[in-house]
Amino acid sequence: MGDFGSLIDGFGTALQPTYLLYALIGVTLGTAVGVLPGIGPAMTVALLLPVTYKLDATGAFIMFAGIYYGGMYGGSTTSILLNTPGESSSIITAIEGNKMARSGRGAAALATAAIGSFVAGTIATIGLTLVAPTLANLAVQLGSPDYVALTVVALLTVSALLGSSVSRGLASLSIGLLLGLVGTDNLTGQQRYTFGLPVLGDGIDVVTFAVGVFAVGEALWVASRLRHGPLAITPVGGRWMTRQDFSRSWRPWLRGTALGFPIGAMPAGGAEIPTFLSYALEKKLSKHKEEFGTTGAIEGVAGPEAANNAAAAGVLVPLLTLGLPTSATAAVLIAAFEGFGIQPGPLLFENEPDLVWALIASLYLGNILLLVLNLPLVGLWVRLLRVPRPYLYAGILMFSALGGYALNGVRTDLWVLLGIGVLGYGMRRFGYPIGPAVIGLILGPIAEKHLRRSLAISQGDATALVSTPFAATIYTLLAVGIVVTLVLRRRAKRVLDEIVHPEAVDPEVAS
Amino acid sequence: MQASQEETSGTAARSAVPEIAAAVVVVALGVFTIVDAHRIKIPLSSNAVGPRVFPYAVGVALIVAGIAVVAAVLRGEPADPEGGEDIDPNAPTDWLTLAKVLAGLALHVVLVDRLGWALAGALLFTVVAWALGASVWKAAIVGVILGFVVQALFVSGLGVTLPAGLFDGVSLLSG
Repeated sequence: MGDFGSLIDGFGTALQPTYLLYALIGVTLGTAVGVLPGIGPAMTVALLLPVTYKLDATGAFIMFAGIYYGGMYGGSTTSILLNTPGESSSIITAIEGNKMARSGRGAAALATAAIGSFVAGTIATIGLTLVAPTLANLAVQLGSPDYVALTVVALLTVSALLGSSVSRGLASLSIGLLLGLVGTDNLTGQQRYTFGLPVLGDGIDVVTFAVGVFAVGEALWVASRLRHGPLAITPVGGRWMTRQDFSRSWRPWLRGTALGFPIGAMPAGGAEIPTFLSYALEKKLSKHKEEFGTTGAIEGVAGPEAANNAAAAGVLVPLLTLGLPTSATAAVLIAAFEGFGIQPGPLLFENEPDLVWALIASLYLGNILLLVLNLPLVGLWVRLLRVPRPYLYAGILMFSALGGYALNGVRTDLWVLLGIGVLGYGMRRFGYPIGPAVIGLILGPIAEKHLRRSLAISQGDATALVSTPFAATIYTLLAVGIVVTLVLRRRAKRVLDEIVHPEAVDPEVAS
Repeated sequence: MQASQEETSGTAARSAVPEIAAAVVVVALGVFTIVDAHRIKIPLSSNAVGPRVFPYAVGVALIVAGIAVVAAVLRGEPADPEGGEDIDPNAPTDWLTLAKVLAGLALHVVLVDRLGWALAGALLFTVVAWALGASVWKAAIVGVILGFVVQALFVSGLGVTLPAGLFDGVSLLSG
C-alpha cells in the first residue's frame, strides 16, 4: 500500500494549478505538433524540449508526459486522415483508419482511436504503477554484468526489429554506437574521435542528435523530393460512434492493451509488433471480416491503436526502472531527464520518489485531458494538416535551429546539428532506419561503461559476463526471443502485405 | 492499388550503384573507426578493457553491417527509402532545392550571433520557405514576425538564452 500512498501524493503534486497548467500545455503542444505531417512522436518530444529547459524538474517532467502522450494521439489523427503513418507503429491505423474515413466513417474512426487510446493508456498506466516499483526493487540488485546483458538485448532486438532490412538496421545501430564514442572517455579521460575540436569534447548530445536526425534530416529529405500538387486529406465525415460501433470496439481496445503493454514493457519490445499482432487477432475474431482492408473495419482501428498506446506506456517501464530506452522516443526522453541531472534507473524510485510519482500521476491526468481535448477539437487539429508545406518545413527547421542553440547556448553546436541533419538525409535516402542509431547513441556508452566495469572487477575474465544467473537467463531468453520475434515479424509483414496488396499476395510466397 | 504497385516497381528500377556506394561509405567508416582507435592513448592505469576495445568492436560491426548491405543489394533487395506524407517516391532528387535549404541553414549558423536569433531565424525561415515554393515576400513577413515572437517568448517568457545580436539591450529580446 506504500506505493498507493505515494501515488496519491503524486496526484497531490500534479493537481496543483501550475502543474496542471503545464500538463495542459504539454498535451496541447504535443497533439498540435504530433498532428503536423512529417512529425512523429520522437521528433515532437525533441522539438519541444526547449520549452521545458527553464522549468523545475517536476514541472518539466509533467510537461514531457503530456507531450509524449499528446504526440501519440496527434500522430493517429494524421495517420487516419492522410493514409501515411508518421512512424511504423501507426502503419495499421493509417491503412485501416483511412479506409474507414474514405467510406465516410472518419468521425467514428477518429473517435474509436481516441477513446481506445484513452482506455489503453489508462489501463497501461495502471500496469506501470503496479509493475514499475516492484521491478525497480529487483533491479537495484542487478550488477554490471546484468546491465551488459540487458543492453545487449535492447541493442540487438531494436536494430533487428526496426525497419525492413536487418543489415541496414545493424549499420544504423553501429553508426549510433560510433557517434556515442565521440567525446571524452569517462573512465580514462582520453579523447576519442573528437578531431581535437572542443565542440566534440563533451560528446554528441542526444538532443542535438535527435533534432538533427529527425527534424533537420526529415526537412532535407522532403526538400529533395517534395510532393507537388494538393495532398488528399480525407474529410472527416459520417456519424460519430454508434452503439454498435461501441460494442464492436471495446473488446479490441482491451485485447490491444493486453498485447501492447507487456510487449512494450519488455527490453526487446517496442510498439510495432503489438499493433500488427492486434490487427491479425482482430481480423481473425471479427464477425465482419469482409470489412477488413476494404471499407475499413472499426475493430482494425480500435485494437492496433489501443496496442500502440499501451505499448507507449509499457516502454516507460524499462525506461524508469532500468534506465533503458527501447524506442527512439524513449531515448529522447532519457536525454531530457539527464538534462535535469536525473538518471532514470533502479534508484529513481528511491532517490526521487516525489518526482516519479508526480510524473506517473500526470500520465493519468494527461490521458483524461487528451480525451477531453481530442473529441471536441478534432476539427481544429484537422485544420493543422492544411498548413502549406513550405511554411511547415521552414518552421520545423527554425525550431530545430532554436533547439540546437538553446541547448548549450553555443553557436558551434549548430554545425554539429547540420552535419547530423545531412546524415539523417542520407539514411532516409538509402533506407537505413533512424531509430537504431538514436538508441545506439544512448545505449552504447551505457553498455561500454558496464562492460568495462564488470571486466575490471573480474580482472579481465570474460566469463564473469555470463556467470550471474540473471545474465545467463537473459542470454538464453535472447536466443529464444530472436527466433520467436523473427517468426512473428514475418507474420506481421504478411499481414501488412495482405492489407497493402490484397490481390497481389501469392499464396506460395506468403507461406 | 494499381498506382501503389507502379510505385514499388519504380523504386526497384532505380540504379543500385548509389546504394552500394552508401554501403561502402559505412564500411569505410568502420575502417576509419579501427584505424583512428590506434591513436587513442591508453593510460598506464587502465585495466583489461581500455578505451580502445569498444571502438574496435564498433569498427568491426560497421564493416560487417556495410558488407551485409552490399550483399543484400547484390541479391536484389533494394533499399526502401523512407516514405512520408510529403514525399513523392518517384521524384528524382531535387539537388537545387536541397542546396538552397542547406545554404539557408549554413547562413543561419554563420549569422546567428551577429544578427541575433530573431533575424537569423527569420532569414532561415524565408530561405527555406522560398526554396520549397512559397513567395519570398510572404515568407519574409511570416518569418520576421515568427522570429521576433519566438525570441521574445523564449527569452522573456521561458528564460531560454538566445543571442540578441543587433538588438542587444532591447528588453523583450535580450535575457
